Amino acid sequence: MAKQRAQAVDSEQPDRWEAQLRKGALEMAALASLWQRRLYGLEIIRFLERNSRLVLAEGTIYPILNRLKAEGLLTSDWVEAEAGHPRKYYSLTDAGRQRLRLMAEAWTSFAAGLSTLLEPVLEKQEEPQ
Amino acid sequence: MTAETQIDSYLSSLRLQLGPLTLAEREEIVREIGAHVRDSAEESGASVETVLARLGPAEELAAQYRDGLLIRKASRSLSPLVLLRATLRLATKSAFGIVVCFCSIFGYSLGAGFVVIALSKAFVPAHTGAWIQDGRLVSMGAFVYGVSPQAHEVLGMWIIPLGLIAGSLTLLFTTLVIRTSLRISQRWQSRL
Repeated sequence: MAKQRAQAVDSEQPDRWEAQLRKGALEMAALASLWQRRLYGLEIIRFLERNSRLVLAEGTIYPILNRLKAEGLLTSDWVEAEAGHPRKYYSLTDAGRQRLRLMAEAWTSFAAGLSTLLEPVLEKQEEPQ
Repeated sequence: MTAETQIDSYLSSLRLQLGPLTLAEREEIVREIGAHVRDSAEESGASVETVLARLGPAEELAAQYRDGLLIRKASRSLSPLVLLRATLRLATKSAFGIVVCFCSIFGYSLGAGFVVIALSKAFVPAHTGAWIQDGRLVSMGAFVYGVSPQAHEVLGMWIIPLGLIAGSLTLLFTTLVIRTSLRISQRWQSRL
């Protein structure tokens, strides 16, 4: 029984943990996708699929964009398209650029620190094979 | 159902569920999601049904917007009602939320308790106070039946300002802690 539970935890925990990690990174990723140019929601989703391994439920991104806009990190404009309906384009505000730069710095130094820490773990895994 | 009626029924369900938002916000969201569904169907050649399934149920999507609004509003609010509602919502989502919820209920009760003691001194002075017996505090507060006759009351009328100050500070501190927790949760869990 206890063993079974331990196995269940083993197999579930990394997935849930990874999901939390992705969720935490999503906000930064959404901001980063707008660094070069303005995009609309679907373009942001496709951009993230292409350029990062952030596969997301399509509904997730819109409430996040809404919140980032409410926080003043993004602005939006409705732009007429050939598609026949206008699209809501998002772009970074100055505050958004500044926040993203800080996030990128924090993330990079955090990841670099962890990589050093994790190096021996990954090496050990290779030895027995 | 044709594609257009499917989209329409999804959007009207979404509109309905977005009730607490302002009309302008609601319409903007509905318009944006509508554009997404049409673009996504056209781009991938998938059926509207598939696109809507990928988007998730309208109720869930609306709930994400509503939670965002609730927490955003609460993290700027001073009202215990708004703050408690937000922490209750948070408590349904994560262990962190449950802890925040318990702490806020405790903090509010403690703060309100101090204020009630201060007020009751004005109305039932003989039954309110801090009593000391043999050099240690035996009871403090407002009591219906009074306290053991050997104990003597030490604070007198000072309990009114002290109670009010302790009460306000506790309530203020609780408010700040909740608001900070909500901001943290927004950053890491609001996709909840």
